Parts: sequence; structure tokens; C-alpha cells
Amino acid sequence: MSADAATPAPRGSLARAAELFAYAGGAIFVVIAILSVGSIVSRALFAKPLQGDYELVQYAGAVFVSLCLPLTQLRRANIIVDFFTVKSKPSTRAWLDAFGAFLLAFVMAVLAWRLVAGTISMREAGETTTILGWPLWHAYAAMVPGVLLTSLLAVQGAIGDVREALR
Amino acid sequence: MSPLLVGALLFCAMLVLMAVRVPIAIAMFVPGALGYIALSGTLPLLSHLKGALYARFSVYDLSVIPLFLLMGQFATQGGLSRSLFKAAASFVGHFRGGLAMAAILACAAFGAICGSSVATAATVTQVALPEMRAYNYSGRLATATLAAGGTLGILIPPSVVLVVYAILTEQNIAKLFAAAMIPGIIATIGYLITIGVVVRRHPEQGPATQRHSWSERLTTLRGVWPVVAIFFVVFGGIYGGVFTPTEGAAVGAVSTFVAGIATRELDLAGMKRAFLATAETSGMIFMIFVGADMLNSALALSQLPAALADTVAHLGIHPVLVVAAILVFYVLLGCVMDELSMILLTIPVLFPSVMGLDLYGLNPTEKAIWFGILVLMVVEIGLIAPPVGLNVYVVNGLAKDVPMSETYKGVMPFLASDAVRVTLLVLFPAISLWLVRLMG
Repeated sequence: MSADAATPAPRGSLARAAELFAYAGGAIFVVIAILSVGSIVSRALFAKPLQGDYELVQYAGAVFVSLCLPLTQLRRANIIVDFFTVKSKPSTRAWLDAFGAFLLAFVMAVLAWRLVAGTISMREAGETTTILGWPLWHAYAAMVPGVLLTSLLAVQGAIGDVREALR
Repeated sequence: MSPLLVGALLFCAMLVLMAVRVPIAIAMFVPGALGYIALSGTLPLLSHLKGALYARFSVYDLSVIPLFLLMGQFATQGGLSRSLFKAAASFVGHFRGGLAMAAILACAAFGAICGSSVATAATVTQVALPEMRAYNYSGRLATATLAAGGTLGILIPPSVVLVVYAILTEQNIAKLFAAAMIPGIIATIGYLITIGVVVRRHPEQGPATQRHSWSERLTTLRGVWPVVAIFFVVFGGIYGGVFTPTEGAAVGAVSTFVAGIATRELDLAGMKRAFLATAETSGMIFMIFVGADMLNSALALSQLPAALADTVAHLGIHPVLVVAAILVFYVLLGCVMDELSMILLTIPVLFPSVMGLDLYGLNPTEKAIWFGILVLMVVEIGLIAPPVGLNVYVVNGLAKDVPMSETYKGVMPFLASDAVRVTLLVLFPAISLWLVRLMG
């Protein structure tokens, strides 16, 4: 198995967006880490935890992961099995990679669509987190851009693979 | 079409997609989604997918993974592996094969703050390989030691693989970490013995270096204390019930960051690399989760895992042999798949079968923990075994003058040591469970 690193990461606005998303995700995570440490300290010193720290980790964690997905796709770091195709022609491999990337783009597009539907349902139902009372649809909505960008990057990657195959 | 047949077809479709380079996550997702439609319908699938991503990404225990990754990245970029190797080398470098032993010790110590095998192999290689080559160590011994030593990154807690296993099987992460501790130490000792045996037979492969005085040794220890302190705070806190594994990982990430700043090794470029690498790997892991979730939902609808468990329970084969067969299956699967995909794919199917067996009269929790440690040990073998040991690739990529075949030859004695250890763990569950029982 390996991450497919044969094709260099394409540059462009989508690629820049993917890196920005990853940094934004990183920033969210630093906040999670600091708040967790804060909660421990508050528990130790004042014998009371930060209100809703569990929820916050869940809420922010979900958004964080969605923001990581584009970078993984940009760097083609999604794991593939290359055991059976090590000896095949580079153009064959490029065609197969294009197929894989298109399939990934399709799945992510469907997931983005369902996430939008989920956002609408959550908003209509008015569901919130238990302690903090944060509306769940905000988190749902915040996950859409990352999933959508992953789909777009996969399309871009697939086009690159087709070019590679035809060369 | 019977649900069981659908389940079997799903599995075959997934294998075909994987073989033609479709990303593993998608190769699991697409058959899973189609199976869900066949067994339950299109509308139920669409409604299931509405909440699937949030449900998976917001699992509290899972956030421990990015935090441990970040901790490992800060440790890597912060150059902590250099001080670990230097200290170990000052103590054991004067033995024959001593620098290789020092590399193993550095890997073990680094593994105590890093949950990734590849990261451990890569970072210790950067400091230990040049040193070993400078003292005329053979490329075979040097690279094989580092590839095998890297596996200590996941064998010794924290371990991303164990976290994933804990979540899939609804076990306590802290208990699993505790259970991995002694097997991890045994692995380290086993590798040290392996090096000793190799250099006894081939002294030219690992010449001794000069002996260091005690004052020199004590000086090198100064660079080691941050690692020791971080390890004791993080795991002391987790085992002692002061904080959750997620909070422990957060403490670890923050303190590794501080240690990197304090030693002036971690700069802005290093921080950027650490964040991007964490994001990339997190995305990769969670994508596999998304695919495996879809496939496992469909498999659960098909009742395949339950049927398999029922069949296995009535096979009339000795339960320990069944476990042994599963472990051999993992080693073979490890030849083509990475460890996380393997676990996410197989645990939901195989775990019910194992739980249905009477193994040494262990209670369900103990059985689950013991089996988890065994799985951890065998999936790690795939990282160094031919044809595609990921660690071997990583270490060999950094040692341009050593042919890959040499590294694989050198890895063989270490694999033998792995086999001995796994056998011991299968025969004596107490090795894994002793600390867990002590914790109560």
C-alpha cells in the first residue's frame, strides 16, 4: 500500500484553498487543545470543569476533520493498494487513478448534497447541543465547504490523471 | 437475493475496486452504499447519509487521533529524537552493535510520545542512520534496525491503531494502552536481543564505538527529560483517571510544543509542516472511517458478521487455533493493505466471532483487550514484511546507498523476534492483562 505521490500536487486557487482550510482546521484544533488543558486546570484548581467541554470538542472536531479532507485529496494521501498494479504501464495506472479520483469526487459530491439536506433538517428541527445549546445546523453547514472542495479537487486531480494517461 | 449473498458480493466488489487503485475509503463506500440500497432502499440510504458525516466526525474519543498526531509532529519537528539517540548511544554505543541498540531505544522512547510507526521510523532514521554509517555499520543492519524500531511507535502507547480498535469495539482506551505497555517493552527487549544475536554471528555488521564516561552520559540525559516528563504527565493522568485520553493528548500536544520552543528546535516553518502533516493524515484516517462505516452498515444489514460468528462458534476447532488462524490472516492481508484500513475493514466482521469463543475463560472485556493487543502486534508485522513494508520504504528512501533487498534481508531476524513475541502473547494472556488487572 502507499499514498500515491507520483503526481506532484497541482498549484492553483483550489490548492491554495485546501491549504488555507487545513490551517483553519489547525487553528480550531489549537483552540480545542488549549480549552481541554484549561478545563483540566479549572477542575484541579476550582473543582469545576469548563461547561460543555465535551460538546465543544465534538462540535469543533467535526468541523476540523471536514477542513482536513481537501488537503488529503490535494496531496493524494488517500491510501490505495498498489500491490496489483506495480508492474502495469504508467498510462494504465494513470487511467485507473483517474477512475478512482472521479469515483471519489462523485461520493464527496453526494455527501456534500446530503450534508446540505442534513443542515436544512437540523435547522427545521431546531436541534441544539445539550449543555451549550449551540444549534447543530451551524456545525453541519460549516462542514459543507470542506467536503465540496474535496470533491472539486478530486475532479481536478482526475483531469490531471487523464492528461497524464494521454501523454 | 438473500441478505447473506448481498454481504458476500459487497466484499468481492470491494476487493476488485481496491485492486484497481480506487482509494480504499471509496472502494469500501461504493459497495457499501449499493448494498444498503439493495437491502434497505434508496430513501433510507439518502436519509442515513444526512447525518453520517457529523455522527462520525464528532465522536469525542476520535479527536484523540489528531491530537496525538499533532503531538508526534511537534516531537518530530522539535528534534526530540536527536537527544534521545545521543543519550542512548552514550550508554550502549560501546557494545558491539551498540549504535543499533541505541536506535531501538530511541525508537521506543520516541514511540512513547508518538503514535505513528512511519513517523517514528523517519525521525529516528534522520539522526541514527548517518551515525551508524559513519561507524561502518552495514547498510543491512542499520536500515533493518530502523524499520523494525519504527514499529515501536505504534506498539508502545500512544497508538493510533489501538485508539481505532478501542472505538470499533467500544473498549476503554486507557485500559488498552495499559495492556500494550508490557508487550511493547518485550518488543523492545526482543529487538535488542535480535541485534545482539546478529552482531555475534556477523561482528563486522555493527562495530563497537568508543566508551563514554559517566559524566558525559549524565550530560546527555539532560536532553531526555522533556520526553520522560511528557510521557509521565500524559499517561499518569490518563491511567490515574485525572483526565480523558483526549485531554491527555491535548496536554501532550501543548507540552511537546512548549518543549520544542524551549529547545529552540521548533521554528515557524516546522510548525507549518506539523500542522499540514497532521491535517493530511487526519483527513486520510477519517476518510477510511467514512468508507468503512458505510460498508459496515451494509454488512450489518446483511447479517454476515453474525452468521460468520455463529459458524465459527460451531466449527469445533480449538478456540485458540481460531485466533491463531485470524492472526495469520492479518499477516497475509498486511502484505497488501495498510494497518488502519485492515482494522476498520475486518474488526466489525471478525470481532463478534472472537467474542463468541471461550478463550482461557477470560471475561468479555479481558478477551477484547487481549485480542486487541494481538491484532496490534500482527498488523505491525505488515509494516516491515515484504513485499510492501511501509517502514522499509520510508527508511530505505532515506538510505540511498542501501538496496531494498538488503533491508528486507536484514529485517528477517526482527520478524523472527516478532513471531516469538506474538506466540508468547497468544499462549499467555496474562502478559497483556496483568497491568490492566492491577488498574482494576
